[in-house]
Amino acid sequence: MIKARKYLPFIAFVFCGLWVACTQTRDPCLTPKIASLNIEMMHLASPLVIGDTTFVDTALPAAVFRPLSVIVDNPYTIYPQQADFTISLSPDSNICQWIFATDTPAYSFDTLTFHYQRNLQFISNACGFTYFYALDTVLTTHVYIDSLHITNTSVTNNVNTKHLQVFIHPGH
Amino acid sequence: MSIQSICKYLFILAISATAIACAHTAHAQTADTVAVDTSATPKNKKKDLAGHQLAIGIDLVHPVLNSLVTDRFGYEFTMDYYMHNDLYLVAEGGWGGSTVDYSDLKYSTTNNFFRFGFNRSLLTRDRPTDWDMMFIGFRAGFADVNRGQATYTALDSVWGNHTGKTESKTFQAYWGELNAGMRVEFVKGLFGGWTARGKILFNGKSFNDLAPLYIAGYGKGDKNVAFDFNVYVSYGIRWKRRGAADTTVDSHPAAANTITETK
Repeated sequence: MIKARKYLPFIAFVFCGLWVACTQTRDPCLTPKIASLNIEMMHLASPLVIGDTTFVDTALPAAVFRPLSVIVDNPYTIYPQQADFTISLSPDSNICQWIFATDTPAYSFDTLTFHYQRNLQFISNACGFTYFYALDTVLTTHVYIDSLHITNTSVTNNVNTKHLQVFIHPGH
Repeated sequence: MSIQSICKYLFILAISATAIACAHTAHAQTADTVAVDTSATPKNKKKDLAGHQLAIGIDLVHPVLNSLVTDRFGYEFTMDYYMHNDLYLVAEGGWGGSTVDYSDLKYSTTNNFFRFGFNRSLLTRDRPTDWDMMFIGFRAGFADVNRGQATYTALDSVWGNHTGKTESKTFQAYWGELNAGMRVEFVKGLFGGWTARGKILFNGKSFNDLAPLYIAGYGKGDKNVAFDFNVYVSYGIRWKRRGAADTTVDSHPAAANTITETK
């Protein structure tokens, strides 16, 4: 036991150091904190009915999204040349609206209206709370949008899940 | 790789190295014991010469940490009783709590905890009065946690932040531990030593609605695996075993803590 006695202070010091190093004030948040509703735009090649396999998935030139919220300085979000978009739902209400145009210079918009249920979700002490949502219905005007299809009703912080397919009229 | 991950793996490495070293010692001890058994008759019964010991100790690490961190506190005590064959029955307890005061999350918790299990010494005694040990052990832990009302803010740059409150709650936490450590007697009856602990939370999902930042006795409440470290100072109270005076000491050095009694 002489050897054990000799190395005791050193081993104790090492373990103390490791323990203190692992005790941080607040861990960094490594997961998304806001639930994202992921939209996939489908550009119809010809005026076909939904379900037909002849539509094509095309990137929009410069699509515009903007939330219709009480925050007046909310900017338009312009997505250059892409087909997948991510927006968020309002945690203050069970309904929210986004306006949408397929291209920046457009003077007319479509309005997407989301109806959903909110679920308060604790992520971790590092990230705090957020809201997850269960989509009920999505309504739209039809300037650019032909139709909608909800592919997943559960809106969480999983960024890989597609929730909504939006079918754009041909020519836009 | 984050600092926390590196620390975690270093901790696992240290515990593994300790376990390997202990296993080597235990193997040597087994070999010696087998040599003794071949010379004894099947009716021989070994008695422990070490006597009884009840050791009561206090943890020094957490009081020091309490002064270094402001969001949590904890105090821990330990008590162990020597049974026989280098086996110790262990009971540990304490209390603590945490205060979360972030910009988007505020709440506080308090809890008591209790752990029980055993330690198995892996070192051969030099003599019956040698109480130094390197050990491994297992624990079952229980904590009764009270969490106060929590205020949260769900941050959202698009729609604006949303603030709310959750109700206070009382719940239980259960976990298991694998321990390793050592303890040496500095002066008669007074021990110093450390214990490293790897812990697995069994019912973490039951308080996923708001896992406490810190559960005294376990660790971070939103982690299913935790590591902890204690440095104990303890005092051992000893008394002799009944009938030990009527027996003779086995002369084999590896069995110095046992006596052989023929019926």
